[in-house]
Amino acid sequence: MEKHLLEVKGVDVLYGDVQAVWDVSIYVNEGAIVALVGANGAGKTTLLKTISGITRARKGEILFLGKSLTKLRPQEVVGMGISHVPEGRRLFSKLTVLENLRLGAYSPRARSRFTESLERAYGLFPVLKERKGQTAGSLSGGEQQMLAIARALMTLPELLMLDEPSLGLSPLFVRTMFELIFTLNNQKVTILLVEQNIHQALKIAHHAYVLKTGRIAMSGRGNELLANQEVQKAYIGERWSKK
Amino acid sequence: MLKYLSFKLIIQLLVNGILFGTMYGIAAIGLSLVFGTMRIIFLSQGTIIIFLAYICYWLFTLFGIDPYLSLVIVIPISLFLGMGFYQGLFREAAALEDKNISLLIAVGLMFLVENLMTVFWTANPRSLQTTYTSLVFRPFDIGIPFNRLIGLFMAVLSTAGVVLFLKKTLIGMAVRAASEDMVSATLMGISPHRVNAVAFAIGIGLAGVAGVGLATIYPFDPFYGFIFALKAMISLAIGGIGSVSGALLGGIILGLLESLASFFISGGWSDAVSYAIFLIVLMFKPEGLFVRSVKKA
Repeated sequence: MEKHLLEVKGVDVLYGDVQAVWDVSIYVNEGAIVALVGANGAGKTTLLKTISGITRARKGEILFLGKSLTKLRPQEVVGMGISHVPEGRRLFSKLTVLENLRLGAYSPRARSRFTESLERAYGLFPVLKERKGQTAGSLSGGEQQMLAIARALMTLPELLMLDEPSLGLSPLFVRTMFELIFTLNNQKVTILLVEQNIHQALKIAHHAYVLKTGRIAMSGRGNELLANQEVQKAYIGERWSKK
Repeated sequence: MLKYLSFKLIIQLLVNGILFGTMYGIAAIGLSLVFGTMRIIFLSQGTIIIFLAYICYWLFTLFGIDPYLSLVIVIPISLFLGMGFYQGLFREAAALEDKNISLLIAVGLMFLVENLMTVFWTANPRSLQTTYTSLVFRPFDIGIPFNRLIGLFMAVLSTAGVVLFLKKTLIGMAVRAASEDMVSATLMGISPHRVNAVAFAIGIGLAGVAGVGLATIYPFDPFYGFIFALKAMISLAIGGIGSVSGALLGGIILGLLESLASFFISGGWSDAVSYAIFLIVLMFKPEGLFVRSVKKA
């Protein structure tokens, strides 16, 4: 049996009185790409926020490498080796590209290896080296997404959680983004991916969960779900027919 | 009055304004830093400045320590005081969504310190008299009081120090990052308590500088602090929140306007003019005069 890097077991999340996530369990194997897909408001973003400690689970348990994350704060979760690229990237737009990357390596675990991490980031994204003195806010949308991922990699994550990395990018950049996810995964980074671009996400995912109004509606191998009639009708078909 | 007006006098008014405005400026930088990470206006800033002015006064009258020399004692005291205020008073409240709690603590702290100062030092104005208090330079026949000139140097040096700290050190970068997006900062491993405490320490550290500057320039009493905090707030409104040099510049502009208003209208009007400017700036350019316009909703 493969080793579970991350285990989310029976988690409920509430925002005030509104329950956003109901009894959700997901498992992420080491070295895998796992996708969370579903419509807007299905609870995907909330689930990522709960894993990284931004929001708290009301019930259930989250384990990473067998250790509980349930009570940890975000600054402690990142120290365990989980990096979360939030929706909308949330870069420090007034800070320079280099400063954003330096802060990526803020936690003690990552700080001592800053120089080699920086070289790796510049190797993956040469454009960031060219723009290192520019403020993050002055970058194009695609470059900002690269910076957000580069900054997350500076934390030396074992698990990289990406929330809608393709959102707002041009089709060309979307392709680059998925290729990048694939490359990172080949470099042994485990990936938990939230995507609205369901077709693409399922294509590269080893395993995927379909969320529907806060609950797991379906799960399976990425290509199985892609071929699944119900998924096609509910998400992918609808997507194409709209356009 | 206008018949006394001369070019020299105008220059003199401008010089006075700039020299006093720098005190508003460094107080405003402190407000700006605390606001950046904590999202509250630290209303007790002015009262703490007065408190530190009294410390400077005590060191001088009790131990005969020169006020400028006392900076080496006052600045460390104020840095620790800032750290202590955060850890003791604000730590729990800072984590809450509702910022009003923190604001109320700041107001409570202001009244407490104000009253303690009245008990210790009475409500009578105090001032520091040293051998150089009345020393005035006269380049080109324009009077530049020595103590105000030193005040200007102190303000410029401490501003430069803060700017360098924020730009060059990792924790300084973390403070800037947290001011922009606290949640994103925590995802990098930055602890909110750490950056809040640092912002407080620097903010109150600057209050120490302002306190010493003020003590050597102006007579002060315990109740002047609140007005001083208001002036710092106005400087911040003029300069725009989030820019250290903007805050200093805002203070200088306010100092200039007050100096001109007290001459051309009357001394009693200078406060009214500054509050009017406060409202006008907030009405028409709420992001501050030196901040490029942001998109309006």
